[in-house]
Amino acid sequence: MIIGIGYQDPILVGIICISLLFVLALLGVRVAFAAALSGFLGLVELIGFWPGATTAASIPYAKTSLYGLSVLPPFILIGFLAFHAGMTAKLFDAARKWVGWLPGGLAVATVMAQTGFAAVSGASTATAAVFSRIAIPEMLKYKYSKRLAAGVVAAGGTIASLIPPSAILVIYALVVEESVGALLLAGFLPGIVSALIYCAIIVLWSMYKPEVGPAVGGYTWGERARSVPGVLPIMLVALIIITAIYGGWATITEAGALGAFVVLILAFFHGMRTKQLKDALMETARLTVMIFTLIWGIYIFVTFLNFSTVPQAFSTWIVGIDAHPYLILLGILLGYTVLGMFMDAIGMLLVTLPIFYPAVMALNGGDYVLAADSPFGMTKDQASVWFGIIVVKMAEVCLITPPIGLNCFVVNGVQPQISLQDVFRGIALFFVADVITIAVLVFFPQIVTWLPDLMRGG
Amino acid sequence: MAEIDDMLGRVTGRADRMLCPVEDTLNFIAATAVLFLMMLGVVQVIMRIRWLFSAPIFGYIDMIELSMPILAILGISYCQRHGVHIRMDIMLHKLRGRTLWVVETFNSVVALVIVLLLTRFSWVFFMDAYTSGDSSVDAEYLTWPSKLLVPIALAILSARLLIQFLGSLRLAIDPKRELIGVIKPADVADQAREEIREALGGDEVK
Repeated sequence: MIIGIGYQDPILVGIICISLLFVLALLGVRVAFAAALSGFLGLVELIGFWPGATTAASIPYAKTSLYGLSVLPPFILIGFLAFHAGMTAKLFDAARKWVGWLPGGLAVATVMAQTGFAAVSGASTATAAVFSRIAIPEMLKYKYSKRLAAGVVAAGGTIASLIPPSAILVIYALVVEESVGALLLAGFLPGIVSALIYCAIIVLWSMYKPEVGPAVGGYTWGERARSVPGVLPIMLVALIIITAIYGGWATITEAGALGAFVVLILAFFHGMRTKQLKDALMETARLTVMIFTLIWGIYIFVTFLNFSTVPQAFSTWIVGIDAHPYLILLGILLGYTVLGMFMDAIGMLLVTLPIFYPAVMALNGGDYVLAADSPFGMTKDQASVWFGIIVVKMAEVCLITPPIGLNCFVVNGVQPQISLQDVFRGIALFFVADVITIAVLVFFPQIVTWLPDLMRGG
Repeated sequence: MAEIDDMLGRVTGRADRMLCPVEDTLNFIAATAVLFLMMLGVVQVIMRIRWLFSAPIFGYIDMIELSMPILAILGISYCQRHGVHIRMDIMLHKLRGRTLWVVETFNSVVALVIVLLLTRFSWVFFMDAYTSGDSSVDAEYLTWPSKLLVPIALAILSARLLIQFLGSLRLAIDPKRELIGVIKPADVADQAREEIREALGGDEVK
């Protein structure tokens, strides 16, 4: 490839290097290294050896030493400490006292408690793990069907990636160079909507088949009132993060640090030992490194892609397709469904966004489009946030569907008496709910854009 | 052949044992940095309160930016040892015995090549900052100590990848040998166990 540097058709080099990335990734090379190597070779080919090599090698530092990215470690730490802070059992207890009387009440309570827990956890698999231990035994005790119990826990976990603090939304924001705060706020309402749709579908299913999820009632108003103080700490953490982003009294990193500090204090009060703190910190460091390595590896590739002009060519091609923009969007979303069968959510986002994101923005009418002139009825800023939420929701659906469906494996891992088949069957109901949620978010983008618009003062 | 093979195993095993404490220490430093940055954020918020101190930490953002590589890159080799860096392993799971280890040998060579290249040229990037006395925007802290972390971390990662290359090569020669210096390919169930261990703190893995 080195021969004839600077004389190749950039698009051709682009296509060769994209193919190389896919072949290496399929062979099982770590995605970060596969992307870095493909990008490195491409850069060297397009701009020459020394400039290409030094550009590529400056990226690991340049992409890690950013203040905007410093929000990730505290968010991840909050997630690892949240379980030790013992707030989960209290959340579930409060939720069951308030909504247990509904058909499928304990499953509804699980979704509500998971939504609350999402406010201190940015990771969907962790949320599924924690609730597998707390909620499933209770549901089984009240003769809930195994499938419903397992399905609701696996699916409810995915709400964590929409409600702030969500690590995956931070990553999206950084990749597409959108405001992290806007993305985090944007996820809030869709997270609630997603939870409400889960609850509605549980109630309807339990009314149709009362034996799968009997109502659990008989709590007095006094008992309900007494369950409230247990959930206040979580509300405090959520309040710190959301008001900081919205009101701007602290940067998101500072709010994350403060949130992590509050959770840390709570965890110590709840009996966390130093050994567990050390483990949580080591895990935080590990996950941080994994995410950052992926970010700089992919970014070397993205830097090359921009030289190759492939994203621009792809955008031009997408915009030129003679079909309704919604139909093209549907095609892109179906592409994500297929990819999601093979890749982890973060990896999938990082690999696809450099190509798909500019295409969708072009489809919306480009950088300076007015909402009235755009086929989706949105400005560029709105569309960018909206696409982020939809793509993250899509990536999360892949966490609960075969063949990967990591959340389902997590539930089965904590509760081995529920077979994997039962977990996957239990998911079917929630898969339907997710398809409805995505449709709602596509056709009512205001749910996504309302809060970030308020923040931007629009 | 068997003798060469044994020697390869011994060398790989010894190198592995020597590298592990280095990697553990570096990740521990990263873990401590997580705690430090959290405390720094809390102090910053408190010190900035207008009616209390109204004295935000000087150069706070620069401090955070310069310490980010400690968290973000120092533990890179530790992660590689534990197989944390994500990959698509759908095909690897279909492979058994020698084929699996031939592919793994190839994979470690690919990773080794790019990491060596980046080590070499991130050193150039560091040297530029060192010789020019490059400093951060606000507080004018020198940037080279922070930039130096990149080639150091990548050099250690190269050593780890070399160990994994030798380990895979040894198993490609004779797949029946015990695993030394390689990561056993994890399937989704293994990943799920790992996630549960992380979320629930270790006592829950069945």
